[in-house]
Amino acid sequence: MASESKMIMLRSSNNEVFEVEEALAFESQTIKHMIEHDCADTVIPLPKVSSNILAKVIEYCKKHVTSPKDDNNELESFDAEFVNIDKNVLFGLMSAANYLNIKSFLDLTSQALADIIEEKC
Amino acid sequence: MMGESCGWSFLLALPDDIFAIVAQSLSPRDVCNLCLCCRSLSALATNDKVWFTQCEMLRVVPVRDLVEWRKGVLSYRVLCKFLESVKSLIGIWVHQNPELGNVVYVMPGFISIVGCRIIPQELGPLGIKEGPILWAPVFEILGDIDGSSLFFLHGRDKDDDYLYPGSVKAVDKACNMLLLEVVPKEQISGEKFADDKELLARIDPLRSLNLKSQRVFGQNKQKVQFNRLAFGDRRKLLETVTSQVRLKVPDLASGLLFPRMSSDYKNFQQDFMHLRERRYLLMQMHKLRNNCSKYNGNSQPPADPTQLEISEMKKALEISTGLRTSLGEDDCLTQSTKRKNIAGYFKDGLKQILGKSTLTIYGRERLRSSTSRSDSKHAQLQEFLYSGDTIGLALNASNGKLSSYRAWPNMHDSRFALYKLPMQEPKPSQEYGGLWGGTFGWPPGMPSEDKPGKALYFLFLSYEESQDQRLLIATKILEGTHYVLHPNGSAMFIVNLDEPSSETFPWDSDGDSEPLNITCAYTGEGIANGYGFRYPGSKPGSLFVIQGGLLAFIWKESRTVLTMQRLNLQELLKKGERVPALPPTANFAYLTKSYSNVFAGFSSTSNGLALQR
Repeated sequence: MASESKMIMLRSSNNEVFEVEEALAFESQTIKHMIEHDCADTVIPLPKVSSNILAKVIEYCKKHVTSPKDDNNELESFDAEFVNIDKNVLFGLMSAANYLNIKSFLDLTSQALADIIEEKC
Repeated sequence: MMGESCGWSFLLALPDDIFAIVAQSLSPRDVCNLCLCCRSLSALATNDKVWFTQCEMLRVVPVRDLVEWRKGVLSYRVLCKFLESVKSLIGIWVHQNPELGNVVYVMPGFISIVGCRIIPQELGPLGIKEGPILWAPVFEILGDIDGSSLFFLHGRDKDDDYLYPGSVKAVDKACNMLLLEVVPKEQISGEKFADDKELLARIDPLRSLNLKSQRVFGQNKQKVQFNRLAFGDRRKLLETVTSQVRLKVPDLASGLLFPRMSSDYKNFQQDFMHLRERRYLLMQMHKLRNNCSKYNGNSQPPADPTQLEISEMKKALEISTGLRTSLGEDDCLTQSTKRKNIAGYFKDGLKQILGKSTLTIYGRERLRSSTSRSDSKHAQLQEFLYSGDTIGLALNASNGKLSSYRAWPNMHDSRFALYKLPMQEPKPSQEYGGLWGGTFGWPPGMPSEDKPGKALYFLFLSYEESQDQRLLIATKILEGTHYVLHPNGSAMFIVNLDEPSSETFPWDSDGDSEPLNITCAYTGEGIANGYGFRYPGSKPGSLFVIQGGLLAFIWKESRTVLTMQRLNLQELLKKGERVPALPPTANFAYLTKSYSNVFAGFSSTSNGLALQR
């Protein structure tokens, strides 16, 4: 029997549950540590992350986990489009990236914010 | 700018760690702009974490040093300000004289940058990488507690080491010339005189009134730049000012300029302690000298003020030349006896200088009816001195139109200047650029036991595109022989990177009998005797690239071989041996033509060096 990849349940601040593959969830160092050290039950609560933000984070991780490693151009254009959003949403993503400890995502969102600031200055 | 407060309030809610990451992608200027937006943003953006990242991004010093340096300044922000202002000074600076080579390497010290001259020398018994390299201090720029720059020129006068304090003019980021100048300064507003109103009233009742009108008057005039003055005037000004501002170096201050290379942690910490003490002492000395106008008649006046009172110089000028000033300024009558002594001292010194110039250039009899040219020169000098209240030393890093021939800048022979060699960062298609150390003979590096020490050569390799050919030029910038063979800045060899060589390398193994692996070879030409000293010729030769970071150029006919390896000057200097400097002006820029080693006042043979170790 081919074992299916384990699924992790994530609960957002407004009690919405998202089911994701383990590999995807492990993009977040926070979640990874919680699971590896048996600190979590079946569902991992993420009180600091709202549903819409969590959905976007999952979308980012999914793209980066499933994309082939050498397709940099596609990833770059995806990233550029991804952060072309409202400032408040960007802020939400940054906080989530920091809380969930997803380094590449934090760098991406920080760079995006820096670009906006530079534009304004 | 960021006028809308509603959309940006989240920025203030960002934890400072994250803001530091955001700030990584911002230039220091943008972070400063953020500080100007509003008080809360200012608090966020002046956070030490943010500025620590900015300092890191400048890549002037490694992180470990940044942490040590931070302890001596108010914040990472002022440290960043200092680092940014001195960053473009770091690198290799050269001068034409003496022909053996004049290489000043400017590198980070301890909350400072230090200019060290590598003197022409021979290799010691330990070879290039280990044998202590001989160097002499040229100048230092210390970062004050608030990040401002304090300039010290190093010099020696009759067996004593001195420091000559001065200021630093705003550094041009694209500077290619470093000039030593004398600059007149205006006393900053009434604040400085607030404490000394009594003193001022005693000395010159009309001066405080004159000051304002003088400044207004001064602003309307075109200021005479130091570099516009005649060479003789410039040299005399420098000599006068340096002789007056010099500070005797107490033992503590003559010590370390930068931490030494040491694997021992204890030594390392001790070095830092000495560096901190020395820096504190120098900061005090610099500050004290700058406030020479503040002393009252009772206390001992500083013997060597940083800034000379220009009024004293003007008075001396009037007396010795008999010319009346056009400004109608009152003479600065010295009431205090102590001041009289200093005034007298200046007067004598200047009388000597100006007396000489009046004799040689003008002639006492011809004073009234001097030629218009000498009149204008004299008028220029007077105008220069009149444009301020005090006068002092200054370092001017500027960008000038410089032409160069084969990577060697064409230099003015009457400017007290050092010229920058453009940085050659090794890139994928240009991996040989930069500084290499070389010696003649095979095996490379080590001097043989029976022969005298091998002369150490410094070669600066650079790339040039000429007529669709990619050329690699090796410019000689330092020669360790006793009497120079070819002019400073000559191309020791030029090879064509598009033309491989079919020559075979004469040896199979190196000095340690390790087999050699020749990666590639290029054809070119090496320097040879030509029409006299000034115009060397060239003879064919080939450049061999040997695995392990070695380069070897062999002249085809004579089979002479020049081997080169990369040098990390900063490391070498940290392990090096300090030798005495020259008199201050000559220590900065040696303008006299010379073909021998003017920097070595001692025996520089390898035997001598071996004995010293």
